[in-house]
Amino acid sequence: MTRLRTAALFVWRNKLLTLAIVLLAIVTVLAVFAPLFAAFEPGAMRIARRLRPPSDVHLFGTDEFGRDVFARVIHGGRISLAAGGLTVLFACAGGVVLGILAGFYDRADRVIGKVVDGMMAFPDILLAIALVAVLGPSLTNVVVALGVVYMPRVARVVRASTLVIRELPFVEAARALGVPTHRILSRHVLRNLASPLIVQGTFIFAYAILAEAGLSFLGVGVSPETPTWGNMINAGQQYARQAWWIMMFPGVAIVICVFSLQIIGDALRDALDPKLRRTV
Amino acid sequence: MRKILTASLAGLLAAGAATAALAQEPRRGGVINVATIGEPPTLDPSVSTTDVVGMISLHYFETLYTFGTDWKIVPLLAAGDAQISDGGKVYTIPLRTGVKFHDGSTMTSADVVASLKRWMDVAVRGKQAAAFITDVAAPDPNTVRITLKEPYAPLLSLLSLPTSAAIVVPASKAQAQLAEIVGTGPYRFRERQPDRYVLLTRFDDYVARDDAAQVYGGKRTAWLDEIRFVPVPNANTRVEGALAGQYAYADSLPVEAFPSLRGQARTEPVVLAPFGWPVMTINTRQGTLANQGVRQAIQTALKPSDMLEAAFGDKAFFKPEGALYAEGFIWHSKNGVEVYDQGNAAKAREMARAAGYNGQPIRILTTQQFEFHFRMAQVAVEYLRQAGFNIDLQVSDWATLTQRRTDPALWEAFFTHSPFLPEPALNGYLNDQSPGWWSTPERNRLVAAFNQESDTAKRVAVFADLQKVVFEQVPIIKIGNFNALAAKSPQLQGLTPAAWPFFWNTWLKP
Amino acid sequence: MRRYVVDRLLGMVLVMLVVATMAFLIVRVIPGDPAGIMLGPDATPADVAGLRTRLGLDRPIPVQYVIFLRDLVVGDLGQSIFLGRSVLQALADRTEPTLALTLMATLIALAIGIPAGIVAAVRRGGALDQTTRGLAMLGASIPSFWLALLFMQTFAVALGWFPVAGYGEPGAPFLERMRHLIMPAVVLGLISSALITRFTRASMLDVLGEDYVRTARSKGLAERVVVMKHALRNAMIPILTVVGLTVAVLLGGAVVTETVFGLPGVGNLVVQAVLRRDYPVIQGALIVIAGIYVLVNLVIDLLYTLIDPRVRYR
Repeated sequence: MTRLRTAALFVWRNKLLTLAIVLLAIVTVLAVFAPLFAAFEPGAMRIARRLRPPSDVHLFGTDEFGRDVFARVIHGGRISLAAGGLTVLFACAGGVVLGILAGFYDRADRVIGKVVDGMMAFPDILLAIALVAVLGPSLTNVVVALGVVYMPRVARVVRASTLVIRELPFVEAARALGVPTHRILSRHVLRNLASPLIVQGTFIFAYAILAEAGLSFLGVGVSPETPTWGNMINAGQQYARQAWWIMMFPGVAIVICVFSLQIIGDALRDALDPKLRRTV
Repeated sequence: MRKILTASLAGLLAAGAATAALAQEPRRGGVINVATIGEPPTLDPSVSTTDVVGMISLHYFETLYTFGTDWKIVPLLAAGDAQISDGGKVYTIPLRTGVKFHDGSTMTSADVVASLKRWMDVAVRGKQAAAFITDVAAPDPNTVRITLKEPYAPLLSLLSLPTSAAIVVPASKAQAQLAEIVGTGPYRFRERQPDRYVLLTRFDDYVARDDAAQVYGGKRTAWLDEIRFVPVPNANTRVEGALAGQYAYADSLPVEAFPSLRGQARTEPVVLAPFGWPVMTINTRQGTLANQGVRQAIQTALKPSDMLEAAFGDKAFFKPEGALYAEGFIWHSKNGVEVYDQGNAAKAREMARAAGYNGQPIRILTTQQFEFHFRMAQVAVEYLRQAGFNIDLQVSDWATLTQRRTDPALWEAFFTHSPFLPEPALNGYLNDQSPGWWSTPERNRLVAAFNQESDTAKRVAVFADLQKVVFEQVPIIKIGNFNALAAKSPQLQGLTPAAWPFFWNTWLKP
Repeated sequence: MRRYVVDRLLGMVLVMLVVATMAFLIVRVIPGDPAGIMLGPDATPADVAGLRTRLGLDRPIPVQYVIFLRDLVVGDLGQSIFLGRSVLQALADRTEPTLALTLMATLIALAIGIPAGIVAAVRRGGALDQTTRGLAMLGASIPSFWLALLFMQTFAVALGWFPVAGYGEPGAPFLERMRHLIMPAVVLGLISSALITRFTRASMLDVLGEDYVRTARSKGLAERVVVMKHALRNAMIPILTVVGLTVAVLLGGAVVTETVFGLPGVGNLVVQAVLRRDYPVIQGALIVIAGIYVLVNLVIDLLYTLIDPRVRYR
C-alpha cells in the first residue's frame, strides 16, 4: 500500500514520466486495436483519392495510392511495436544465457568477453545491415538481426550483475551448503537480474524501433510492401513537398514511442538503482 | 476578335523570336555538373546495357551510325548510308577520312574492323548480331564490308545504339577489357572518382561532321570546357539539388517533382515524351504462367490505367495505351488492343478457373530502385488478389532481380521498362533467349519474317500481326506509355531532350 | 603501468581477431553465388568462374580464412569488384568526409551535451533539469534519417542556407567541402548530444555526492567553483567513456546520414556495396569501422591512466 502511494507520488512529481506513460499507452492502444480505430483498410487503394491532405475523412491524409495514412500509421505501429518487443525478448534471452555463463565461469568469460567486445565494436545499424543482407529481408530476420545486435549489451549488464550477485552473502552461503548451481541461478540470480533487465529491455525496445525504421528506410529491412513506419517514411520522402503528411506522421509516431520508452527507462533506472536513490 | 488574336499572337511570336536570337549565340567555355542516377558500373558501353553508361560514354566514344530526328538512322563515323547488296546480305560502309582519336592517331578501316570484332565478342547485342555475321573486312582504308549469312534488318540499329554499343577505338587498343579510354568523341575522358564524379574535357582536335545537327547526328560542337557526371542515387536528392541550382542537368527525376520544378529561378523541367513503356514480363517457359489461359486471365484482371496513375501521378506524364509503339512511331498499330485495361476481376477469376488455376503462388519480382516499378507492382498485386490470385511479391535490388530472372524456376513475372526502341527487333520479347523465353510457332514464324524483310512498309504490316499475337499469347503485359522528367538550369542552352541526354552543342548563357 | 598497456594491446588484438572473423563469416554465408550476382545477368559462366578464382571463392572455407588473415596482417583487404581498385584505396578515398563529419558532430554534441548535463545535475529535480532531460530524450528519439530529411527541406531547399547534398564540385576547396558537412553534422550532433547530456548528468550527480565535494562546500567555496573545479574534473572520466561510445553511435549514424545527404563517405560506401553486392568492400569496411572504434576506445582507456591515478593500480 505504501509502496503504491510512493509510486503514485513519484509519477505525480515527475510530469515528464506521466506524459511518457500516457503517450505510450495511447500509441499501444491504437496499435493493438488498430482495426477498431481505422475507418479504412491499411492496404485498400483508391487511386482517385491519392495524395489528399489531412481532413475529417482521412485524419492523416492519403498516400500515393490513395490509402489512408492514419490506418497505415496505426497498423504500422503493430508491426513496429511487435518487432521492438520481439527483439527485446530475443536479445534478453540470449544475453542472459551469455551473461550468466560469463559471470559464473571464468573460462567462459574469457571467450564470451572477447566475442561481446568484438560485436560491440560494430555500430548497431551497420551490423544489422550486414546481418539482414545475410539472412534476407523479412520481419523475422530483422528481429533476429537486431536481437543479435543488442544481445551483447544485455550480456554485459547481466555479467556485471552476476559478478555482484555471486559474491552476495546468501549466494555464497547457498553454494557452501552445496545447493546445485541451477537452483542458485533460478532462485537467486535470475530474481536479482530482473531490475537491470527491465531497464535495459526498455532502452533496447526504444533502440530497436529506431533501428528497424532505419533499416526499412535504407531499403534493407522488412519487405517494403509492409506498412512499417520506416517504410512509410521511405516511400513518402519523394512526396515531401506536395504531400508532407505521408512522411510526417510515421516520423512523429516513432518519436513519440521512442521518447516515451526512453523516459520510462530512465525513470525505472532511477527507481531501481539504489546507488542513485541515495542522492535523491 | 479573331484578327486581334492573330495580331497579338504575331507580336508574341516576334518577341519570342527576338529573345531566342539573343539566347542562341553559342558561347565557348564553362563547366557543367550533371546529376546521374548512380555510379556507372563501367566506362565501356560495349560491355554494358546500362543507360547511365551509354549517356556518359556517348561523349567520348562514337559509333558508325547513330539516331537523328524521329529515330532515323544517320551516319556518324560512316561517311554516308551503307550500300546494301546481295539481297540484304552485304553491307558496304564508307568511312569518314581524317577522324582523330584522342591519342592523336587517325581512324582507318583497320580500327573499325578490330572494333567491330571486339563488339561481336564482348557486347550482348554484338553477340546477337554475330550469329548472322560471316565476315567483317576492310577492302580499302576508308571502307568496311560486313557480310551476313542471311538478311538481318536490325543490323544498322544495333550499330547505332549507345548501349551495348559498337564503339570505334584504335585497333591497338581494342582488347576485350579496355585498358584506356580512347575514342573519337567531342569530349575526352579525364578522371573518374567512383561515387564522386566522372570528368570529361573538350577534345580540341575533334573533327566534326559538316551536315546540320539532328539529335545525335550531324555536326557536333563542344562548347563547354568540362562536363562532370555526378552520381546522385537518391532521386529525392537529385530533385532538391536541381532546385538549389547545384546541377546544370539532373537526369531521371520522379514525375511527382514536376509541379515543384515549374516557375523556379534556378531550374526548369525538361520533359521527354513519349519516353518509354513499363511492362510486366511473364515467364512463358516454366511454372504456373506457362499456361496461356492463366496469362490471359491476368491480363484481364489488371487495370494498367490505375497502375500508371499510382506510378506517375500527373496525367501529363503517362498515357494508358496498349499498342506496343506509341502513336507517332511508324510501328504503331491498334491490332489486338481491345483486351487492354479491363480490370475485370470477376471475368478474370472465371478465366483463371477455366484454365485450371487454383491458388498456386505467383511470384512477381520487382525493385524499389525504380520507384515507379514498385508502385505499379503494388497496384497490380491489389487487382490480382481481388481476382483471386495468390501473389507473392518479391522485392529486391535491381541487380539481384536481373540475376534471378535468368532462372525460369524462380519467378512467374517481373516488372521492367524500356524506351521505345527504334528497331522493334531489339525488344526483349522478340528475343527468345531473354527472360520470358517466349517461343511459339506463331511467334517464331512472324519474327523470322520480320528480321529478314528489308522493306519497311512490309515490316510494319508484319509487326502489326506480331502485336496481335502478343495480346493473344500474353508473353508481356505492356502497362502504357510514360514521359521522362529531367531538370536543367535556365543557363544551359541548346539542349535537345533525348533518351540518352548529351551535352555537345549545348552552352552556358552568361 | 606498462603491464597494463601491454595487456590492453593484447586484448585489442584479440577483439580485432573476433571482428575480422565475424566480417569474414558474414560475407561468406550470404546466400547465392556472390560472383554470379556481382557480375550481373550478362556474364558468361566463364566470367563467373574467373571471378570465383580471382576472389578465391573456389577454395575450401578454412583455406580462404587462413589466406584472409594472412592478407589482413599485411593490410591487404582485397579488391573491390565494382570500383576496380583495392578496398583499402576505396576506403581511403572515403575517409575524409566521414572523419570530418564525425569530428564536427562530436564537437557539436559535446558543446551541447556537457553544459546541459551540468545544469541538469546541479538543478536536479528542478524545472530546468526536467526540461533539459526532456529535450535530450527527444533528441535521442528522432530517427536521424527523418531529421535529415526535415532539415534538408527546411534549411537547404526552403531557406537555401546550405547546399542540399553532395560534397562540393570536383576539386572544391577544403572550406567548400566542409560547408557541405554542416547540416549533416548538426543532425548527427543533435542526436548524439542526448547521450552525452545523460552521462554528464549522471556522473556529475555521482561526484556531487562525494565527500570531497561536500568538504569543498563546507569550506564555503562558491558553488560555481565547486561545480566547475572539483566536481567537473572528476566527472570527466566517465564522460570520456561516453565520447568513445559516441564515436560508435556517430559512425553508425554516418551510414544513414551520408546516404541521405549523398556524402561520399565510408557509410555511403557500405550501403552502396550492399546494393552492389561488392562483398570485399562490405567485409573491409566492417573491419575498418570496427577497428576505428576499438582504437578510439583504447586511446580513451589509456587516457584514463593519465587522468585518474587510481586506474593504474587496477
